[in-house]
Amino acid sequence: MAGVSTQTFASVKSRTIYFWILSLLLVLSFTLATVLQPRAGTWTSRSGAENVLKVVLGDGRRLFANHFFVQADVSFHSGYYPSIFDHTALPKDSSPMIADSEQHDEHAGHACQGEHDHNSAKCSDDHAGCAHDHGEKGHEHDPHEKAMSFLGTPRDWVEAFGRRFMITEHTHLSAGNEREMLPWLKLSAELDPQRVDSYTVAAYWLRTLGKVDEAERFLRDGWRNNPNSYEILFELGRLYHEARKDIERTRNIWELALAKWGEQQANSDEPDLRALSQIAIHLGRMEESEGRLVRAVELLQLAQKASPNPEVLAKDIEELKHKATLPVKAP
Amino acid sequence: MEPILETNGLRVEYRVQNGQGPKVAVRDLNLAVYPGEVFGFLGPNGAGKTTTMNVLLGFVIATGGSARLFGVDVREPIARQRIGYLPELTYYYKFLTVEELLRFYARVFGLSRDEADRRIDGLLKLVELEHARKRPIKTYSKGMQQRVGLAQALINNPDLLILDEPTSGLDPLGRMKVREIIQRLKREGKTVFFSSHELGEVETVCDRVAIINEGELKVVGRVSELVESHQANLEQIFLSMIGYKPEPVV
Amino acid sequence: MNIVTALSGVVIKELYRRKDFYVLFILTALITLVMGSISFFNDARIARYLKEICLMLIWISALVIATTTTARQIPAERENRTIFPLLAKPVTRWHVVAGKFLGCWLASGMALVVFYFFFAVVSGTRDSHWPLLQYAQIVLLHWAMLAVVISLTLLGSVILSAPSSNMTICLVFVLGILLLGRHLNQVALEQPEPIRSLIYLVYYVIPHLEWYDVRDLIIYEHKLIAWSDCALAGLYAFVYSGFLLMGTWLAFRRKPLHL
Repeated sequence: MAGVSTQTFASVKSRTIYFWILSLLLVLSFTLATVLQPRAGTWTSRSGAENVLKVVLGDGRRLFANHFFVQADVSFHSGYYPSIFDHTALPKDSSPMIADSEQHDEHAGHACQGEHDHNSAKCSDDHAGCAHDHGEKGHEHDPHEKAMSFLGTPRDWVEAFGRRFMITEHTHLSAGNEREMLPWLKLSAELDPQRVDSYTVAAYWLRTLGKVDEAERFLRDGWRNNPNSYEILFELGRLYHEARKDIERTRNIWELALAKWGEQQANSDEPDLRALSQIAIHLGRMEESEGRLVRAVELLQLAQKASPNPEVLAKDIEELKHKATLPVKAP
Repeated sequence: MEPILETNGLRVEYRVQNGQGPKVAVRDLNLAVYPGEVFGFLGPNGAGKTTTMNVLLGFVIATGGSARLFGVDVREPIARQRIGYLPELTYYYKFLTVEELLRFYARVFGLSRDEADRRIDGLLKLVELEHARKRPIKTYSKGMQQRVGLAQALINNPDLLILDEPTSGLDPLGRMKVREIIQRLKREGKTVFFSSHELGEVETVCDRVAIINEGELKVVGRVSELVESHQANLEQIFLSMIGYKPEPVV
Repeated sequence: MNIVTALSGVVIKELYRRKDFYVLFILTALITLVMGSISFFNDARIARYLKEICLMLIWISALVIATTTTARQIPAERENRTIFPLLAKPVTRWHVVAGKFLGCWLASGMALVVFYFFFAVVSGTRDSHWPLLQYAQIVLLHWAMLAVVISLTLLGSVILSAPSSNMTICLVFVLGILLLGRHLNQVALEQPEPIRSLIYLVYYVIPHLEWYDVRDLIIYEHKLIAWSDCALAGLYAFVYSGFLLMGTWLAFRRKPLHL
């Protein structure tokens, strides 16, 4: 009997000890949490990120964002797209991206003269935005088409047979189907909100598809994440100009874009002249149609300085000067 | 009479890792088991019993000599068409039910569906597993799993049963049941070749025994004749054959 | 043949009694449905991204199912010693190799049918497009590719006793071929001799599994592949699998039965 009560006592005593140890550990952990929590915020920005993807992936998300952006381009070309090996096999200056940019630079002078407008922000460094009016099949002598004929003739039977199971035709999404690129661009922007292209390209296509409200909302998201981006401002201006016909707001936004460009690029070693040319041409053309010819001449002269083909604009400037019948000083 | 199971000068050598010469597991073994007899194969651990069985079942290729079942070389799969094998432990697909397992083995033997159904019913009745036929084997007790083993060994209605320590790890009731089944098979004219440590069991069940030690056959003969010629019981004969000398009691 | 089909039946039962297949299917379905429920710019007609994600998940799941199921077959038989009562019957090691291959291949094929049926339902409800012949082609080509993957893993399972290392090596090998196989000849051309010849040799020796990845043709609604080409690709996979199975049998023939 005595033995049983001694055992019971010992068991109760050991349980009490465990209870106290557990309680102590619990209190200690809570105390440490309250002390460390405010400090932890300063150790890394990851824990404080508002985006779950940022918390999970850290800076690695930029890699995924880039992948999704390229995926949008792949989607635009219906799966026909060069791999990194195909890129290396091509001559350096015939990379589809570069070829595309060159092509659109040549068109810079004709910008805004009609529907055939290649000179959008989207054309800066991606296919998805560039090739929008190439039609179902690319032009025969188009540099983009040339660059995208990366497959060449098969080198051996393995390659020849393999081509029967892959897409070997260079095509672009047909009208209306461009929506298929949008999820990739959205994902790209979600993963890397600082990637400006994702916003501008998506907004361009949304606008083309008649989804102006969605385009505006998306661009404003992009602007919130990139308050100094002149590219986003330029695209937003185009939206107000072409879809909303809101001249006043367009003017304000494009002027702001010019100012932002000046802040960031004017003193740069390699300024982004393409963007400057685009903003100036579009704003200049708008001012021309609004009858503010002096300002239009100023802007086209600015664009002329930034354009790789200034001679194309020279004629337009002369005509404008003549129309204004005013002696205009170069800015 | 032609033996059902026969080895002539059977020799099995293993390569050993430590650079020494090959280890001889079975040395010039000559055995013959005749139809209808229950043959006990005895020996201490490491004597070469399992190796011999492995050769007979085609698991291991002999270094020398020959082994035949029903007059066919053991390396021919057809030699195993008429045998049933019960391993020492229960090595079955435990995600299957006993019915599925028996059906699988029935298909391996090429039995028709009707024949398989008939045999499965009969065997499950024999090993008293009818009530658990739809349960996965993994839910069975050890004794039940051993009975599954017996059922699978009998699915093809074999003429020769090779049993590797069939009663090891079973409770007395389980052993009794296995013994009963062996007796029953004997009455049906089947040949049984089995290894065991249970000398009492061997004495009661077997017609003939062979004792093997260090790969060598020490003695072979009828149990009654051995007992008479050695003037000792089977256990004493076994101990003397394996060279066991009891230490004097101080 | 009866023995081979009996063995394959056990493999199929094993796959469907384990949780791997169900977990992967539920995961694929869940991720696809979650992705499908996201509204991108209020446009419900966007479908291709969903097809892309769903097909990618199906490919990953199919590869994982095929390799995990196959990698453990022979090692598990040896480890659990179920090979002993099996080989004590009139079963040869070639029967075991062929039965395991057939079982894994059929089980993977059944899994593929379930996965692609789900894919067809998801994409069909999204874009009201039911290219049944193209679905048949993609399933058949995928299944043919899995035959090579399974026979490769089976060979690995005889050489490497640990299923996990075999599985990892096989997955890396297969993914490597899927990503690089098509470009090895281009890589070879840029190398000096003798590396060039060596890479070319590898290029010709490896199974060209990338041929069987025709997801883009479904996603981007391209025309059907010629059935004769599909048949040739099937023959290639069949011959390659036969070669690998022969290698498996040769390696397994003199292998000790216990681990």
